[in-house]
Amino acid sequence: MEMKDFIEHFVEQFDETPSVEVSPQTHHHEMDEWSSMIALSVMAMIDEEYDVQIKADEMRNSKTVQDLYDIVQSYLNK
Amino acid sequence: MLQLEGKHILVTGASSGMGRVFCQMIAKEGARVSLLARNEDRLKETLALMGGEGHKYYICDLTDEEQLKATVSTLEALDGVVFCAGINDFVPLKFVKQEKLERIFQTNYFSQVILTQMLVKKKLIKRNASLVYISSLSSKLGVAGTLLYASSKAALNSAVRVIATEMAPLGIRANAICPGIVQTEMLGSTNIDEESFTKQAVDYPLGLGTPEDVGNAVLYHLSDGSRWLTGNCMVIDGGYSLK
Repeated sequence: MEMKDFIEHFVEQFDETPSVEVSPQTHHHEMDEWSSMIALSVMAMIDEEYDVQIKADEMRNSKTVQDLYDIVQSYLNK
Repeated sequence: MLQLEGKHILVTGASSGMGRVFCQMIAKEGARVSLLARNEDRLKETLALMGGEGHKYYICDLTDEEQLKATVSTLEALDGVVFCAGINDFVPLKFVKQEKLERIFQTNYFSQVILTQMLVKKKLIKRNASLVYISSLSSKLGVAGTLLYASSKAALNSAVRVIATEMAPLGIRANAICPGIVQTEMLGSTNIDEESFTKQAVDYPLGLGTPEDVGNAVLYHLSDGSRWLTGNCMVIDGGYSLK
């Protein structure tokens, strides 16, 4: 799994945020367009792209895109 | 007098969540319960929580027609059935897939109809029996992310009305119960976190429901007290729909 691809998939879930705005350090909960619907989409994207079902509290407790990436990576390493 | 004295009731999805609580409540009202679910250990746990006598459990995956057929062939005649087995999957429209639709409809709709069909064909539903289908308030709303679940339950509501008409000549009743958000394990296992459900609690004038709240409605539907009720879809939601 590449961070670059992960960010690309992540950004696809937004209607307006251009990819330049998103980096591993982005705090996704603080993004303008962030909503429970986007959170649901990100979880569905992770399921579809990486076959990983992250838990709702993992989604909620992750602060940055890097955190999310690490969670997915930890499932992939299992 | 106990509400369900002498009755034999089948409960699907009996090993967890609402189904487990319903089994306990139904047994307490004097009925003999046949429990149906996939997991034997959990079925035994449910059984251990129940009072009364004569209960039996059946290990069966409702989505497997052969298993269902085999189970139905060993059942005794019924005074009531509570169709409680159900699954949930929250995904936004853009992630809906044929495979996901099939999976949720398989459990929440197809298997409910097929089980009903088998029980009716085998004449296992006694005259004046009551069929109770656990649907959902979401079948009447349009909450984001609930397309799979809500539409499977809406299909179920329609089936219930037709079943009610077809079974009426035998005095057999079919009704759906549409609860709002109820705190069960199913909530914990979904991809929607507890916090967002807690947030939604503010939209429920009477707060979120418990399995017992729905169980009391189930008891009423199973009892002879509801003998004139059929084809109905009871919304029980702590006042959520008032808004």
